[in-house]
Amino acid sequence: MHLDIETVGTGNQVSMVLAGRFDAHEADPVLTGLNRLLDNGARIIGLDLQKVEFIDSTGLAVLTRVMKRARELGGDLVLVAPSTPVRVILELTALDRAFVIRDSGPGVPLDR
Amino acid sequence: MNKIDTAHAPAPTAEALGLTSGSEELERYRTWATTSLGVDPVISVVIPAFNEEERILPTIGAIASHLCSRGEPWELIISDDGSTDRTREIVGELGLANTTVIETAVNTGKGGAVRRGVQAARGHYILFADADQATPIEQFGLLLDPVRSGEADIAVGSRAATGADVIGKSRGRRLLSEGLRHIVRIGFGLSHHDTQCGFKLFSRDAADRLFPVQRINGFSFDLELLFIASRSGLRVTEVAVRWFDSPGSTVQGGRDTVRFLRDLGRIRLNDALGRYGGACRPTAGQTEGD
Repeated sequence: MHLDIETVGTGNQVSMVLAGRFDAHEADPVLTGLNRLLDNGARIIGLDLQKVEFIDSTGLAVLTRVMKRARELGGDLVLVAPSTPVRVILELTALDRAFVIRDSGPGVPLDR
Repeated sequence: MNKIDTAHAPAPTAEALGLTSGSEELERYRTWATTSLGVDPVISVVIPAFNEEERILPTIGAIASHLCSRGEPWELIISDDGSTDRTREIVGELGLANTTVIETAVNTGKGGAVRRGVQAARGHYILFADADQATPIEQFGLLLDPVRSGEADIAVGSRAATGADVIGKSRGRRLLSEGLRHIVRIGFGLSHHDTQCGFKLFSRDAADRLFPVQRINGFSFDLELLFIASRSGLRVTEVAVRWFDSPGSTVQGGRDTVRFLRDLGRIRLNDALGRYGGACRPTAGQTEGD
């Protein structure tokens, strides 16, 4: 494992914190974890990417897939405080225009 | 690899995105991406690419983010090796101000792509890095420091040096690498633990001496470079790196082992025929008698 995954909170709004390298090797546990949150009733998921050093195309595909499913359920996958490398990668792939991206910090609501 | 499809995802408005202006690093990246340097680059990064449409953008993003954060003028060179997918188009469509895409009609092999890229580079220090970001770019400084300080002419990433961290490499590939390493040591007298890691940095002078005489276009070009460097009196330092196995690697054990062994013979033959002679002159501070 080179990606730490931690889930915070329960109910409608939850957060998942990733730290490390989010690549094809780590896609399954992240996808499974995010889908489980949706299955358990979460609708707004904040995905904290502040400590993610790198995300590859498989990781981006996981985020896109979960975002689309969350929106179909009336919710969203919100990207929280992506690190600079992740932010640049989102811009280069134009995915910054597809996701809701929020700054970190207390008092920042996850809902759109 | 996965395709990214956002066609059916409703795109929120810019206001709804809640975007921040970003960090200083992000601003540096945006300036680099949109404004020509106006000065010669200090650093050139060369990425050889063959059919990398799935992997190239995240790799460019990681490299651009890190190099821009260093605050030195730098350029990016994508040396496309006759890709039959959309690699060239995808990179070209980015319109990055300080990025050059080198094209060739036919696939020559990684060695040819790196050579064309390095020979187009303008920087004082030239890194070539694989397109899969297997060796995270955050380790760039580990290679630059000994070359910049004058301690070495070439710094090579090593997955086998003491302190290296190799993640996800199969047992089979580890054994194969170990076997080839012994062959290299016995056959060439090179003491390097890892000749094949796709993360190497050259001083301008070293690049100017090595690449014009480097002849192997394929997988074994790294070994050839280190062999010529050894013969030329260039100083090579090996730097332990953290390395991640990347799904979709184009390295194929059996096929590439056969090619590697064949190339060992070619390198020896080229040397015997004096084909590397041009590179074999003394380095600064050396005399012929050294």
